[in-house]
Amino acid sequence: MTELERQETPSQATGAANPADGKYVYCIIRLDRSRDFGEIGIGGGARVYTINHNDLAAVVSDTPIVIYDPTRENVLAHEFVNETVMREFTLIPMSFGTVFRSEKDVSVLLKSTYQAFTDVLEKMQDKIEFGLKILWDRDKVVASIERENDEIRRLKDEITRNAASSTYFARMQLGRLVEAAMEEAGNRYVLHVHDQLKDVSVASRSNKVIGDRMILNAAFLVDRKDEKSFDEKVKEISLKFEDLLTFKYTGPWPPYNFVNIKLKLEKAT
Amino acid sequence: MGLLTNILLAPFLGPIYGTKWTLDKVDRVVREQLTDDTPIKEDLMALHLQLEMGEIDDAEYLRREAGIMERLREVREWRERFGMSTAGGPVRVAGEDDEE
Repeated sequence: MTELERQETPSQATGAANPADGKYVYCIIRLDRSRDFGEIGIGGGARVYTINHNDLAAVVSDTPIVIYDPTRENVLAHEFVNETVMREFTLIPMSFGTVFRSEKDVSVLLKSTYQAFTDVLEKMQDKIEFGLKILWDRDKVVASIERENDEIRRLKDEITRNAASSTYFARMQLGRLVEAAMEEAGNRYVLHVHDQLKDVSVASRSNKVIGDRMILNAAFLVDRKDEKSFDEKVKEISLKFEDLLTFKYTGPWPPYNFVNIKLKLEKAT
Repeated sequence: MGLLTNILLAPFLGPIYGTKWTLDKVDRVVREQLTDDTPIKEDLMALHLQLEMGEIDDAEYLRREAGIMERLREVREWRERFGMSTAGGPVRVAGEDDEE
């Protein structure tokens, strides 16, 4: 499942070495009978199965009562289960690392949040999420701005011609103009991308960008029937800007960014 | 009493109050730094991006990930020590008492 070496135990155990009677919860689905998803769970391939309440089911695996570090290996295990379940079901993903003490506590969750889960599952029916990150190559963007912006080109030529006499202020001025043009270009790319993807997605959400080369870190909610069109559109845009921008396109994911049920959970002692 | 005492004893009490206030403030700043995992999570995301972009290999990723996990654990420990909420660990639905 992952090319990384499997770690047999979670990195930190807080409880006593109890038998694995805790339940790690991956997601909530609509299903009125029990189901086995195989030995694909977090912590070394635990069996993944369901705890049911009426027509709702929590997809879980047994776990000791521990805190799971968000290592790539653990996160991939969590995601892999959700991807597997997603092939057949619409799901509400749980936050990474959600552990309940017993089957009964999971049943209480399903019972007490039944209506909210049902409503959201209804809304998310046949919806999937795609992630799109766009990074730019600063030098190339600056070069393209210098080609296209007359004022910047003129000022730059002037500074290069009169290298000795060109003032500090002229250079400052150039720097400011380039910065402003960069910001404008970034906004323009982002707007363009959103505009192009508007018709093939249901909703989008922009997250905080990571590092200084990223100009877009967005998630798109897409109807399954539009998956192909969305895919084609993203490829089309990335081809159009392939010289300047790098597209990191991931998915389909469960709707991690579009489900926000505030569960009233407290620490179980 | 009260204000008057304060004024009368000011030369003696003043510096002590001052020091205490500074310590409180330092304590607060230190505490905020010790218990904030936002910058660590940002580092983790940046590291993950580097891996995605092929700038580092798996071995390098794992090496640096271990350092980040260590920092996350430290923050968790400080939060527990200060009685603040922590992510992870066993949970249950609030307000639903065990009937057993």
